[in-house]
Amino acid sequence: MIAIYVVAAIAVFAVIRATIERNTGRKLPYVNVMNFAVAGAVVLLLDHPLALAAAAAYFVGSTLEANAVASTYAGGERRG
Amino acid sequence: MLGEFLHILAAAAVSWILFVTVDILFKLPETGGVSGASAIARDIEAGGGALAGGTMMGNIVCSPDASAGTLLAACGVYVAGIPGGLAAAVLVYIGNRICHDPGYAGTTGAVLATFVIYGFTQIGFAATDFIAGMVIAILTIQGLSHTHASRLLARLWRVRE
Amino acid sequence: MDEILVLLFAAVALIGALGTYLQRDPFNKLIAIGITYGGVLPFIIDRGYLDVAIVVSLIIPISTIIILPLMRRDLRDT
Repeated sequence: MIAIYVVAAIAVFAVIRATIERNTGRKLPYVNVMNFAVAGAVVLLLDHPLALAAAAAYFVGSTLEANAVASTYAGGERRG
Repeated sequence: MLGEFLHILAAAAVSWILFVTVDILFKLPETGGVSGASAIARDIEAGGGALAGGTMMGNIVCSPDASAGTLLAACGVYVAGIPGGLAAAVLVYIGNRICHDPGYAGTTGAVLATFVIYGFTQIGFAATDFIAGMVIAILTIQGLSHTHASRLLARLWRVRE
Repeated sequence: MDEILVLLFAAVALIGALGTYLQRDPFNKLIAIGITYGGVLPFIIDRGYLDVAIVVSLIIPISTIIILPLMRRDLRDT
């Protein structure tokens, strides 16, 4: 079971990159990598059919969050 | 230990080719689906990248596309075999509808990835290899260097055109 | 979940919390709060509380979306 260690290490790496990056638009792809890693880790931690639903709910929810942040960021920048 | 690591790297290569192909076939680099994707593309271009690749990366961030489909299909195959993969495709479709996206790229990617991953599990790969491999694949696109990744994607998009 | 995984996911949550403290821009603060939640979720899953995880996964983005209009730059600057 080396897979889950790989996934967790990638999550930490992506979070460090996201925290160092200052530009909001370039920060979001790093956060997206962390979302992929956490959604994978959820299923790897617990082998149960509902874990798939939890991973999908987390992934869609965080994508929606990134979508909303990016849209508001774009709108605010265009007006400003 | 080493064999499993090589399996993960091979799975990463397979899922990289799969989701980039599906995304480019469904014209993700052409236009930003929502205004947020265009904003991310503009910021990546300002940082030295290419606009077409940045648009595709923005689309990956802002709605579940073929990469999300591949990851959730791998999770579904790991949990419940082929029915799990198809259930993941349905979940990706619902997620696409929530994010105001037509949702064809994500659903097609999930269904395609289900059968590809199931085929690879028959010849000695584990589904967990594909979960970790997909995370590595998305890391190479979104997490290492936005400049180089967007230029590579723009070059592939020019081939498609 | 063994010690290495506990350390890695706790590092994700702690970096998110520190980032929330250090960032100046409100958008970056919201993104860092999302990172904190991503580090906390594996601990909920590890105990087997899948229903809690699903509900919290749906509540966090909605709360972010409710907060977002308060952080629009044009509104904040006026």
